[in-house]
Amino acid sequence: MSPRDAVGEISPELGAIRQVRRRPKLSWSMRIGGAVLIFYVAVALISLVWTPYDPLTPGIGDGYDAPSAAFLLGTDRLGSDMLSRLMVGARYNLGITLTAVTIALCIGTTIGVIAGYHGGAIDTVVLRAVEIFQAFPGLLFAMLVVQAVGPGIVMLVVQAVGPGIVNVILVLSFVGIPDYLRLARGEIHSRRSWQYAEAARMVGNPPWRVAFRHLLPNSIGPLLAFTSINAAFVALITASLGFLGLGLGPNTPEWGNMIARGQDGVMTGQWWVSFFPGLAILGLTGAFYLLGDAISDLTDPRRRR
Amino acid sequence: MSGELLEIENYSGAFRSPTGELTPVLHEVSYRLKAGALTAVVGETGSGKSLVALSVLGIQPPSFVRSSGRILFRGVDLLGLDEKAMRKIRGAEISMVFQDARAALNPVFTVGRQLADVYQLQHGGGRSAAMKQAIEALRRVSIPEPARRARQYPHEFSGGMAQRAMIAMAALICEPSLLILDEPTTGLDVTIQSDIMELITDLCRVGGLTTCLITHDLGIVAETCDEVVVMNAGRVVETGSAQAIFTQPQDPYTRRLLAASQLVEAAA
Amino acid sequence: MTAGGAILQVRGLRKNFPVDGGRHLVAVDGVSLDVAAGETLALVGESGSGKSTVARCIVRLIEPSGGDVVIDGRSILPLQSRLLAGVYRRIQMVFQDPNASLNPRMNVRQVLDEPLRLHLDLPRAARTARVRELVEMVGLGAVHLERYPHELSGGQRQRVGIARAVAVSPDIVILDEPTSSLDVSVRGQILDLLLDLQRRLNLAYLFISHDLQVVQHVADRVAVMYLGGIVEIGPTQGIFGDPRHPYTRALLSAAPVAQWGVERKRLRLKGEISSPIDPPDACRLVGRCPLAQPACAAAKPALIDIGHDHAVACPVVVDGAAPFPSGDLQPRLAAAATRGL
Repeated sequence: MSPRDAVGEISPELGAIRQVRRRPKLSWSMRIGGAVLIFYVAVALISLVWTPYDPLTPGIGDGYDAPSAAFLLGTDRLGSDMLSRLMVGARYNLGITLTAVTIALCIGTTIGVIAGYHGGAIDTVVLRAVEIFQAFPGLLFAMLVVQAVGPGIVMLVVQAVGPGIVNVILVLSFVGIPDYLRLARGEIHSRRSWQYAEAARMVGNPPWRVAFRHLLPNSIGPLLAFTSINAAFVALITASLGFLGLGLGPNTPEWGNMIARGQDGVMTGQWWVSFFPGLAILGLTGAFYLLGDAISDLTDPRRRR
Repeated sequence: MSGELLEIENYSGAFRSPTGELTPVLHEVSYRLKAGALTAVVGETGSGKSLVALSVLGIQPPSFVRSSGRILFRGVDLLGLDEKAMRKIRGAEISMVFQDARAALNPVFTVGRQLADVYQLQHGGGRSAAMKQAIEALRRVSIPEPARRARQYPHEFSGGMAQRAMIAMAALICEPSLLILDEPTTGLDVTIQSDIMELITDLCRVGGLTTCLITHDLGIVAETCDEVVVMNAGRVVETGSAQAIFTQPQDPYTRRLLAASQLVEAAA
Repeated sequence: MTAGGAILQVRGLRKNFPVDGGRHLVAVDGVSLDVAAGETLALVGESGSGKSTVARCIVRLIEPSGGDVVIDGRSILPLQSRLLAGVYRRIQMVFQDPNASLNPRMNVRQVLDEPLRLHLDLPRAARTARVRELVEMVGLGAVHLERYPHELSGGQRQRVGIARAVAVSPDIVILDEPTSSLDVSVRGQILDLLLDLQRRLNLAYLFISHDLQVVQHVADRVAVMYLGGIVEIGPTQGIFGDPRHPYTRALLSAAPVAQWGVERKRLRLKGEISSPIDPPDACRLVGRCPLAQPACAAAKPALIDIGHDHAVACPVVVDGAAPFPSGDLQPRLAAAATRGL
């Protein structure tokens, strides 16, 4: 029992007066995770305006140059600068991850909240639909969606970033939707019979407002924690897809792809070609995990906020 | 000091926060439990009444730090005993019943099994003998069809019945000299409350069991208790016989509490 | 204007919940009551009596299975849900648990502002003034406006809940055990506040409680519920001074009084409460009642008027057919009343 609880126990009035709104102390997990993530975002943004060399041009170096003053992280087999490729790669890995997670979060949470609040028939239908959905291969469903949505919008996006990336994002987001959906649904479902939800109805809120404006914000904690950990997972899958060469062009400076291209080098002593992209992925995934951990601790219902 | 089974002497303590700050919560709490009597410890939320009771059994929250005082049971300071000695005392000498009986029982074992397990722990012996004792204990607390009930799980018991089972476990299976009950009837319907209180007073008077009833409900105290200890904000404000406390309360807080319980204006 | 000045009329309200195996749990079984402007009707009962379900059915937080609810002359059950908001300007609710009835993420100002915005559509300046007026009306101050629920005591939170309910100036407020979760010393203050507001704003109250002492303090009329039905209804003095129904007598005789030396004789009901699942058409007390006759198991008794606005759902006591088993039983609270409580 914290002293705050204890004081509240002794005398509710006294407890109320003495409770100062303390800022939660930022734990080390949150600081490190947050710092790393901010660093990655910064690198990605910088890469939009400047990189040491052109990441896509081969032959700048001789090929397999070791890290040196000229090439801080060395060059790959074709002589492209590793550092530049890594910086641009941040855009891919981070961008794909965040986009996919955001899409999954928005769609999944919205449907989940609706299903959780209404309960009954809607809830049952949605849950069964999700189960059927998960039985399908994700890629197949993504393709069906692309067909349904129509080539128009998708083509615009595709022209901007390239067809492979759109596929990857679609697959990752669709595969992720059921988890967000179930989580949001569970949170809302368990809260909807709380008295403040009933009070919100009495006060004049239509059901959808009760669900989104009152119940959902109180479920932010678990949702955020899950999002962060899910982002770690998605980052890893993105890199894995890139490693397998799926979805992206062969010269794309995506980190997983870069690891694959440096495979030969690992055996013959040119370790840096695979090492640095691997380190980058590790850092990103780890940062998300740390953040998720920290958020989860912060929003633990056993800590009275 | 014959006649006093338990004596709390100047017990003071504080809660320690994770950062190390101490918030004092108990201040020189002193009272005595007469042997064979039914004593009520009354107070509102946060008065510290439950905390003292938990300390008697050595199960107070780990963040609680004692700063002074002794708890003498038959003359021995319980606070000075190590865990092994305390375990011998819990159940065998001092036993406790908590507020929410259904939550205090393990949901995955039948009620009879749980009582039988405690019996074996306290008295040894074989499983079937223990189960017989369990059923007998259920019968003695007026649970109808005790043999059938013993085979049921806690969630199949109503609130009142589960509380009877807990009392059976704490008072009959364990055979202590001192029984502490922490808000045993809060949350139960008033007719069930009455029945439970009758059971408790029976055990006390007929069985000669020293009983300590922790509650905020002055109604049941007026009906059943011999002695009363009034606590507020970690302090004992008044003690005395039940008759004295109700008819001639001395302390202003006691008077306010009585008035509030009777929903009348307190005399100035 | 409705006949007899009743703000709220409930007729034959029913609520069933389906349970496994195609059976039904009858939570509310044909409840009828009236509440007139400015009066307090208490709904008393133990757990399983259905009193909270009645309250929620009246405001359609739970959809009733049958019956009618008429508020100020208008039947509200057939209304589509989006029209219900208008109803909530006339009837409001105060909830039991002050911890659970306030959104933890909204401060007091936001809590009180919301009904003004949604129900009354007032402009900002008017809302600010009204919010200030409301907090003062319930005994809090402007300093509390920025606080969040976890920074308030239980009593203070309940005051906010009350302020929220009267914000739209309703005609009738349903209070669902408003003091049960509060400490004894705070209880009296909150009840006084409720009585004060009732006088000032001419509110009608439907007061739901299991605490007989509280009810005796605040109610004009009392309805006693058991297993989904009203077994006795009448003026407070009549119910507490001359209870007729065996269940009412059992209930009153079990209620403890915080006074020394009150003699008590309990009227006991045998056994456990009977199952509310698919009940037979009989008196719900059959099997527990010391006065049970064969006719009691044949049909569910209706409320019988015995004069002075007092009605009992027990033909046995009305006919005087069988006396109470243990001679003269003085209900305890009446005895306490004669001692000048």
